[in-house]
Amino acid sequence: MSETVSKTRKAAVPAAERPAGGSGAARAFGRVRRRPVALAAVVFLLLLLAAAVFAPLLAPYDPREQNYSSVLSGPSAEHLLGTDELGRDTLSRLVHGIRIALLVAFGSVGVAMVIGVPIGLLLGYRGGWWDRLGSRALDISDALPGLLVGFAVIAILGRGLLELMLAIGFIFCMSFARMTRAVALAEREKVYLDAAKVAGLRTPEILFRQVLPNLTGPLVVQAAVFMGSAIGVEAALSFLGLGLDAEEPTWGGMLSVAADEQARQPFLAFPPGLAIILSVLAFNLVSDGISDALGGARRKPAKRRARLGAKRTAEAAVVPAEPDALLEVRGVTVELEPPGGGRVPLVQDVSLTIGRGEVVGLLGESGSGKSMLARAVLGLLPPATRLASGTVLLDGREITGLSERELRAVRGRGISVVFQDPMTALSPVHTIGRQLSEPLRAHFGMSKAAARKRAAELLRRVGVENPESRLDDYPHQFSGGMAQRVAIALALAAEPRLLIADEATSALDVTTQSQVLDLLLELRDEFDMAVLLITHDLGVVAETCDRTAVMYAGQIVEVSDVRALFDRPRHPYTAALLAADPSGEVTDGRLPTIPGGVPLAGEWPSGCHFANRCAFSQEGCVAHPIPLADQVRCLRSADLTLGVVK
Amino acid sequence: MKKLIAYRLVLALPQLALVSLLVFSLTYLIPGSPAAAILGVRATPEAIAQVEERLGLDQPALQRLGEWFANALGGDLGVSFASSLPVTDVILDRMPATLSLVLGGIVVALVFGVAMGVLAATRPGATDRAIAGATSVGLAVPEFWFGLVLSLLFAVQLGWAPIVAYTPFTEDPAGWLQGMILPSLSLGIGAGALIARQTRAAMTEALAAPYIDTLTAAGVPHRRIVLRYALKNAMVPVLASTGLTLRILIGSSFVVEQIFAFPGLGHLLLTSVIGKDFPVIQGGVLLIACLVIAMNLLIDVSYGLLNPKVRPQ
Repeated sequence: MSETVSKTRKAAVPAAERPAGGSGAARAFGRVRRRPVALAAVVFLLLLLAAAVFAPLLAPYDPREQNYSSVLSGPSAEHLLGTDELGRDTLSRLVHGIRIALLVAFGSVGVAMVIGVPIGLLLGYRGGWWDRLGSRALDISDALPGLLVGFAVIAILGRGLLELMLAIGFIFCMSFARMTRAVALAEREKVYLDAAKVAGLRTPEILFRQVLPNLTGPLVVQAAVFMGSAIGVEAALSFLGLGLDAEEPTWGGMLSVAADEQARQPFLAFPPGLAIILSVLAFNLVSDGISDALGGARRKPAKRRARLGAKRTAEAAVVPAEPDALLEVRGVTVELEPPGGGRVPLVQDVSLTIGRGEVVGLLGESGSGKSMLARAVLGLLPPATRLASGTVLLDGREITGLSERELRAVRGRGISVVFQDPMTALSPVHTIGRQLSEPLRAHFGMSKAAARKRAAELLRRVGVENPESRLDDYPHQFSGGMAQRVAIALALAAEPRLLIADEATSALDVTTQSQVLDLLLELRDEFDMAVLLITHDLGVVAETCDRTAVMYAGQIVEVSDVRALFDRPRHPYTAALLAADPSGEVTDGRLPTIPGGVPLAGEWPSGCHFANRCAFSQEGCVAHPIPLADQVRCLRSADLTLGVVK
Repeated sequence: MKKLIAYRLVLALPQLALVSLLVFSLTYLIPGSPAAAILGVRATPEAIAQVEERLGLDQPALQRLGEWFANALGGDLGVSFASSLPVTDVILDRMPATLSLVLGGIVVALVFGVAMGVLAATRPGATDRAIAGATSVGLAVPEFWFGLVLSLLFAVQLGWAPIVAYTPFTEDPAGWLQGMILPSLSLGIGAGALIARQTRAAMTEALAAPYIDTLTAAGVPHRRIVLRYALKNAMVPVLASTGLTLRILIGSSFVVEQIFAFPGLGHLLLTSVIGKDFPVIQGGVLLIACLVIAMNLLIDVSYGLLNPKVRPQ
């Protein structure tokens, strides 16, 4: 039976969620060791502990010994850190103070855990009424400052070491109870507890054998922080005279003397103050280190976008701009530079031209690099990626390598973008009127009132009803389709010449999708703008586009008129894509698919990227990079006649 | 908005009731005879009987509870042992100084904390690391020690005595402000470090959000996006934890006021704890709890103003 239980448990708990005991703790310790700051803090605390144990040996004098012949002396050879108002040696008091500080830190956190953890376990595990009432009771800690609780406990119990530990322990126990409750509640929901229940484990056994191990990590992190806090609270209470007797060497008591004697011996404030700061800091750093090691690493702020100073390929620079082209992308390569070093191409040597008022589709599976290309055009590449080479011309003007200020004029007015998810693409805490006004004010310098008026017009134009009143609504008050209309209005506000719709309809249901697409086409005519429609949906391309570029694994493999693309695909990938489209006719009752998968960035072959999935590949296909020749990137395009292969 | 306020008020009531119950039972928690504990070992039986009567310990607990609640609702929290003055008056007398100090502390904390947090999140690398180091130290520095150092520097070394004297706002607003500077700085530094950390994390999160790209792609200036959009979004989680920050500030203010001889609640409570003046301790705990609950309510309401999603529709 027990055999079965342990097996069930192992099977039900994924490796990553397994309790942090045993090898997990060892691993966490290993990771702490690799953090120099946390390691230094651990070493400091161990030294502190050693100093506390050997305090009588380390201290040059008896910490309570008074010496009226040497009162309030500064640092000297006799008294390294000077003496206090009764001639007691500061260094000796400081060293003996470590004992009390650490004793109170460990004792009070111990008290807090002994009280808090069982309460939390009970509430979290029992749930229901127990939990509802208990949590309400825990909520009163939201109304009481910790120090006030300490005051009350000392008023009741009196002063003393044990009383101090209890007072500080009471302050912290609510936090432990809450944290334990949250973890227990989460664990309760997990499958393996049910499995354990079925297997006949009794409640206390489940609590201690299964929930507690999962609590270890958070508990240790919390305990370390609170030990630091306890030192601070102890110092405050001793400073106020509510801690131990003034005779006893406590850091807080020493500071109290320092405050009284500040006019006569200012130095007194520094040894105990620095001792408190360093110990609290050490506990906090250890806590941070453990927390990071357990996987809760803090998010690092992203580096500002690097200037888009791409090395222009010599070829790209000399070719003059095409007169009819609105946007010309030439030889654009985007690379990811992972923190570990190296470079991974995400987009490779992409060239694409969009004419004025033209609707061009950019078709590809996810991971083909089409969104990355759009971001490169806008100068919006995410952190750690950069435009490695290539050039982008808008109306014949180079826009790569522009300064932030120059780019600002291009963004919105020259090129604008609508992203996939309208809900995250709009700020949740600003009204849409406010957000719509931003590009109007930035590009046209409109007044608040004028921008608001224009924003309402834009909303009406994209089909939002009651636009004036809806200006004051927030994004979450709109449906997905309506929110996407708002996002389109935002992109249109500065009347761009090119609108990039990056999977702008993919998150919407089919009816809404075609409505939004129709809207885009209407707006194209009205605003006389070009549209680059990025999508993985063949239907969208067929419905809306004049011309289409097909992307595969970072490269454009074919560019052609939409009609020609569907009738006479020239690249085997395009043909396979058309064949796999479920909206096409299905002949043998099964959905056709392209065998294999898109190779991941970094694993692209040097030859044709599609060769390993291609039914027509030959030896020559894999030898060298294949250039885009006559709008198709295939060695065999001349000798293949590709219908829609079914 | 009214609905939200009403809802939070209703939620605050059981909390207040529980705190009152706790405060009421304080005297029952004293081990042994409370009166003997209060008076010391050499107390005469007559004195003990007198104290027990004043505490109402000679009556049944339930009856006392009823009376206590009724009196408390009417603003009567009993009479101080030490001064024989009504507890409510004694405490309310000290409230302005404590409120001034806490207000000063939260202003300092917010200004420093938000500024440092935004700087850290927008300047990765050296600036971020420097601020991370400074906040770690800031969290470890006891507020009262920082106050002591400020007092050493300004009052003792530089001899700017008036800067460490409290003047009631009603007497001399300029003097009040001057006297507030150092105490507010020392009180706000730790909470400022806490807010800086929270702001940094929240700003980092906000700056990576898609709406930042939307606005950038629309040509809105970067600075405006950071300060108007990312910051407001980042303030949502920061505000959510301001309750805790305020609670810490109130507690710390009791200690900081000792350094600057501030006539706040801290000194009153301190002498009451030492003198076992239970009516004052009970009244103090209750009134401070009311203050904290009111502040939490205010925070909840401003949270509703900041984050439209929590407003009842």
